[in-house]
Amino acid sequence: MKLSDKVAAEINSIKSRYQDPRSCLLPSLYVVQKADGWIAPEAMAAVGELLNVPGATVKGVATFYSMFRHKPMGRHLIQLCTNVACLVMGAEELVDILKGKYGLEPNGTSPDGRFSLVIMECIGACGTAPAMLVDTDFHENLNEKNIIDTLENYK
Amino acid sequence: MEKYLLRNIENPNSADINEYVKAGGYKALAKAMDMKPADIIEQVKKSGLRGRGGAGFPTGMKWAFAAADPKMPKYLLCNADEGEPGTFKDRPLLEKNPHLLIEGMIISGHALRAKYGYIYLRGEYPQAKDILEAAIKQAYEKKFLGDNILGRGVKFDLCVHQGAGAYICGEETALIESLEGRRGQPRIKPPFPVNEGFLAKPTVVNNVETFSNVPYVLEIGPEEYSKIGSSDCPGPKLFSVSGHVKKPGVYELPMGTTLRDIIYTHCGGVTGDKKLKAVIPGGISTPVLPADKLDCPMDFVNMPKHGSMLGSGAVMVFDETVDLPKVCLRAIKFFEHESCGKCTPCREGIGWMRSILGRICGGTGNAGDIDLLLEVSKNVMGKTFCPLGDGAATVVQNFIKNFRNEFEAHINNKVRAER
Amino acid sequence: MITVTINGKQIKLEKPVSILEAAKMTGIKIPTLCHHKSLEAYGGCRLCLVEIEKMPRLQASCTQYVTDGMVVWTETGRVVEARKAMLEFLLINHALDCPYCDKAGECDLQDLVMKYGPAAGRFTEGKRKHPESYDDPIIVRNMERCISCTRCVRMCSKVQGASAISMVNRTSKTFVEPFSGGRYNCEYCGNCINVCPVGAIMSRLHKHTYRPWFIEKTVDTVCSFCGVGCSVTAQIRGNSIVRIIPESEKGLNRGLLCNRGRFGYDYISNSGRLKSPMIRKNGSLQETTWSEAFMYIAQKIKEIKEKNGGAAIAGVASGRCTNEDNYVFQKFMRLVVGSNNIDSIAGFAYAPARKFFEKIFGQGVTANPIQGISRSDGIFVIGGDPTAINPVLGLQIRAASQKDIPVATVGYAPGLKGFAANRLIPKPSTEAALLAALLTEMLKRKPLPAEKTPFEEIIGKIQPVSLNEAESACGIASGEISACVDSLSGMTNPALVIGRDIIQRSEGQANLLLLAALAQALNGRIYLSSELPNEQGLIDMGCLPDMLPGGRPVAVDSFRKRYGEFFNAEVPSAQGLSLMEMVEGAHSGNIKALYVMGENIAFNIPDNKFVKDALSRLELLVVQDIFTTETTRFAHVVLPAASWAEREGSYTNLEGRMQHLKKAIDSVAGLEDWKIIAEVSKVLGVDMNYRDSRDILAEIAKVSPLHKGVTYEDMDSGECMWPYKGEPLRHDLNIVGIDMPDMKALLKKPEKDKVYIGVDKVLFHSASLSRNSFALNSIYSEPHAKIGKNLAAKLSVASGDHISISTGAGAIELAAVIDSDMPDNIVLVPNNFEGRGAFRVMGWKMNAAFKAPALDGMEAVLKKLERVSAEVSE
Ligand SMILES: Cc1cc2nc3c(=O)[nH]c(=O)nc-3n(C[C@H](O)[C@H](O)[C@H](O)COP(=O)(O)O)c2cc1C
Ligand code: SF4
Ligand code: FES
Repeated sequence: MKLSDKVAAEINSIKSRYQDPRSCLLPSLYVVQKADGWIAPEAMAAVGELLNVPGATVKGVATFYSMFRHKPMGRHLIQLCTNVACLVMGAEELVDILKGKYGLEPNGTSPDGRFSLVIMECIGACGTAPAMLVDTDFHENLNEKNIIDTLENYK
Repeated sequence: MEKYLLRNIENPNSADINEYVKAGGYKALAKAMDMKPADIIEQVKKSGLRGRGGAGFPTGMKWAFAAADPKMPKYLLCNADEGEPGTFKDRPLLEKNPHLLIEGMIISGHALRAKYGYIYLRGEYPQAKDILEAAIKQAYEKKFLGDNILGRGVKFDLCVHQGAGAYICGEETALIESLEGRRGQPRIKPPFPVNEGFLAKPTVVNNVETFSNVPYVLEIGPEEYSKIGSSDCPGPKLFSVSGHVKKPGVYELPMGTTLRDIIYTHCGGVTGDKKLKAVIPGGISTPVLPADKLDCPMDFVNMPKHGSMLGSGAVMVFDETVDLPKVCLRAIKFFEHESCGKCTPCREGIGWMRSILGRICGGTGNAGDIDLLLEVSKNVMGKTFCPLGDGAATVVQNFIKNFRNEFEAHINNKVRAER
Repeated sequence: MITVTINGKQIKLEKPVSILEAAKMTGIKIPTLCHHKSLEAYGGCRLCLVEIEKMPRLQASCTQYVTDGMVVWTETGRVVEARKAMLEFLLINHALDCPYCDKAGECDLQDLVMKYGPAAGRFTEGKRKHPESYDDPIIVRNMERCISCTRCVRMCSKVQGASAISMVNRTSKTFVEPFSGGRYNCEYCGNCINVCPVGAIMSRLHKHTYRPWFIEKTVDTVCSFCGVGCSVTAQIRGNSIVRIIPESEKGLNRGLLCNRGRFGYDYISNSGRLKSPMIRKNGSLQETTWSEAFMYIAQKIKEIKEKNGGAAIAGVASGRCTNEDNYVFQKFMRLVVGSNNIDSIAGFAYAPARKFFEKIFGQGVTANPIQGISRSDGIFVIGGDPTAINPVLGLQIRAASQKDIPVATVGYAPGLKGFAANRLIPKPSTEAALLAALLTEMLKRKPLPAEKTPFEEIIGKIQPVSLNEAESACGIASGEISACVDSLSGMTNPALVIGRDIIQRSEGQANLLLLAALAQALNGRIYLSSELPNEQGLIDMGCLPDMLPGGRPVAVDSFRKRYGEFFNAEVPSAQGLSLMEMVEGAHSGNIKALYVMGENIAFNIPDNKFVKDALSRLELLVVQDIFTTETTRFAHVVLPAASWAEREGSYTNLEGRMQHLKKAIDSVAGLEDWKIIAEVSKVLGVDMNYRDSRDILAEIAKVSPLHKGVTYEDMDSGECMWPYKGEPLRHDLNIVGIDMPDMKALLKKPEKDKVYIGVDKVLFHSASLSRNSFALNSIYSEPHAKIGKNLAAKLSVASGDHISISTGAGAIELAAVIDSDMPDNIVLVPNNFEGRGAFRVMGWKMNAAFKAPALDGMEAVLKKLERVSAEVSE
């Protein structure tokens, strides 16, 4: 697979910030993920080619980090924290609600392809727990009602 | 106490460089540019500033090590990976007061003669990334960054590097590996980063809050600074308080404020005035304390004397309704998920502890399980490659030490933790 | 001085080492799983924990260095408890399938559990599941056994430099995987298999074929594939080799092997091996007895010799045969047949290059230790990809590169992509222009001394070539060339690794002169790539038309006389024919008989059709081989030889190291090549009287001035290096007979739109022998034509499409593979596969200076085929 010109250009521009092209690997994977929603094996190979990093090595790196996606995702990605602070403030109930309302399972995608759900470790919103990220937006102080109201804004 | 780190953050435009300058920002930078690098290091040493990332290492000393190494170039890395559960103190700095961090880094860069700085920002803070990048752009425009800072011929480039969801990358050598585009697994020490860090060059890694203290040291001078808070670890400290308190949030208080003060004076006490059961005082890796151990001054020196640690200053408060074995299980799940997989005891031991805790909380625990759990934790403790594994063992050991009865109750009564 | 006490024993050390190493020095073994001597410390398994006084925690001894006054205990109760705990942890996710696992009996984990365990197995939950992967033809991956020591991954990236596998995921979900997740598509060095301490990565070829305790005998010998000469250990059960593993202590390969050495040996047990002597009767080869065959050959040789003279008979020696075989063969040709017509494929490139450099710098100039490559301060590679031709030598270059030693490559060397800071890929046959420009620029930076040696005077006469002239000739930007010069001029004693491609050329001699000049300017050491295990040895043994054993020229009367006197016979004085001239002679009728020992000339010489035509005109063609080949099909007599594993003898590798080849198993049908020749000789009335190869070596040690007193024991000691115990020829400073290259002609640009054919050196094959290896064929079973992306676009060909390649000499059809790295106007085809070798379509063209094939300028027409390729008919 060839990376799109836009993706390749963005990677090349990021590359200039680093003394060593390899340092640009994580940022490059982000660029791909932003464009495609996930990182396909062919994209890993292409990124490796661009940065002179062997494909297997790219895969080893990409699979180490939990925020890289290795399968296509729904239109919106819900990253819901269930770590201790969120847990004691009721995050588990929220997981049930998402399942009931959208048919979402952790690491799954709703049947309509609208949402994907990933359970997160602490996302740094413990003072306003429970919390989630939808795409790149923080939503905090969630409860059984406002979580649905919030998500309804994402079509 | 007058706020310094969180000064001006109520201002909705606090992240804008003009607002920051209006509030007195970048004055310390101007001052620093007139100082010799070695003198800045001397001042930071004198101030008694200790790293705010968790270990409390004296910042000036770390810098002096790196500065003494003749190898060039040197790199300056900001640890903005803030991954310790319960911790969210760096987030307001990153999102609301980015110029304080940037100013602190430029001064530090000058002190170390480093030409390049990177902010390793956790992937979970996408908004902070945009805010920081905008702030950095403004700083370049104002010639606070770039090839000729404030016309003094000093060069410092800074950019944001986004992590991608790996708690271990908060550990400084794993952070460096990650920045080099590798799997974020810790490196063997020595060599220490101050001698061989990023790209095998001397590298200083400091926490966001640490850098944010640097302008203050220069602004009020090391003598004044060292008078704030505890005598052997002075300065303002950010505490992130979560769980069952009336007013959770991030508080800037003098180092050494007691846990009780934090919870009852500043945060208004336990939600619904319920009974307090337990507190984790410094992020999930620090030992949990029972309700009767709240009179400890929160700093790096005194906390260990009271059976816990300051860690990142992340106070997690649990009221009487909380099922602590379940909290313990969730914490261990976290460590299991975040183990980098490099060393045997952490990779395999934590999963084992999780499975024992799982059956205890699931109501199918056996009589010997608590002792087995302790035994496994003992086999992990002190044998791992890096402190992450110890953190997991600490959690298990301290939850059982302080709340063994709750675990026994699950086993004896075969009660499933709710859900 | 550092003093440490380990288990009460005190040792003193000059410099700090790890506790693990210090303990090893005192004979104390600390158990490890992630540690490996070829790799850097890792500190992952935590098995090597030890107790250090004054330190509260146990420390990993692989990563902890000793300090003065340190007191260490390696087997205290605390330590043993901790080890037990680590083993118990490791077994959590380790499939306990030892009865089924091939590693049982040589498994480090099993051994350690036996010593410190048996772990009570208190973990009761389910283990990680991960089905065994059979997606690869060679490597079985069982990730239920993996203990995440990462030795394989580190080996693959840090030592092999292939980075074909990686740890994926983190936590206990971590495992090892190649990029595809299934097939490895790697270099198949098998070094990952070698370092796996458990049964997680295993050879599929050996699956369930053996248990370590079945091995009845092990024989330390030398690999049969290339001129590096890796030390291997053959593990034997009954009369068959069950496995080849690298010898890890003494060999120059230090525990490494390439795919051919590790897996390719299975050709010896191929059922297609020749089983009986055969004589052509009524047009077809028919089985016969040895004595009848000997009689027949002797009779024919006698007749031809009497009628046409010894000069009508020629012999082809082999770089796969031992020194002893080759020595006996040339003795037979010179003293019994009476002809200097003896040569081999080594005469195409290796020998002329060697001779050329020796003429300038003196004998033995190319005898440089391979290990020195990774220790040099710069490497210059030209004429072929060493990582494919001499893989373990190639690793030295990669290792150097990983230590930031500058590497420059000229030409298409895909195995060094990513390792060479300067990669110059000139258009076909334009290397001379590039070399001349490199030389010109080098001399500007580092002028020759004022007091000139004869060779420096010659260098002074070489016409300078400017960067721009070079750019327009070879198509490489002048900036790139001068960047390469920048890097070269920083080197003080670089290694120059030179391959065949630059020698087998019309302008081969000019290339060699320019390379010699460059070597002089750089103070470089020369390494000649060698594709066969004993090219160097056969030259030393005198299997050249103009050289006697010990590198003495036939032309010098005194040498010839000394040699003749030794045997009380006369050595013919006329220089013999080169291999190419022999074929021409056969074609023209001047050569009546050809005696071929272990070589497939009908396939391994360009223009197969011409060669076959020539062979068919012979009155006598004798072929000794282990398989039926394109050549045996034309033979009048075919004699089954013993294979590499079935004979004793010696090989001399490209660095000039003599190594002892030991007999591992008995041959079922074949005889040693020397023995066959000795028998024929006997019928012809000259009884050579050797009982075994030792007798031959003893004779060599007397006859060859170079090999004075050499014994197998010398070789077994590991350091039997050039010039062995003898004397090289004194170097004549007056260098005569060197033609000055005509720069103007060399600067001519190749025609733009033409496509030329070249030979692709495949890592997985070795001439035509490897096609009999099941293992190598399962890795690389079909020849491909490699083309660059522009050429592919022009032909609208995608990888996998079939193309036809036709030249004046013939046509072949192959699947195309696109490599974006290749220059535009060339197509590369391997010469390993029957009916579809590059030499089938390469014409007969002789380099006049070397009397050897010139492989350049062979134009080809490429066409995309719509249908999937059909069988190619002869
Ligand atoms: C497992 C682990 C996780 C860590 N996570 C963080 C973190 O998220 N943020 C941080 O600043 N330091 C973290 N640290 C501490 C760093 O290794 C390092 O000590 C710190 O960045 C140094 O900065 P300081 O001196 O300013 O505190 C972590 C350490 C360990 C062992
Ligand atoms: S303790 Fe070991 S496995 Fe765990 S995070 Fe550290 S190095 Fe990785
Ligand atoms: S050998 Fe030391 S940790 Fe594995």
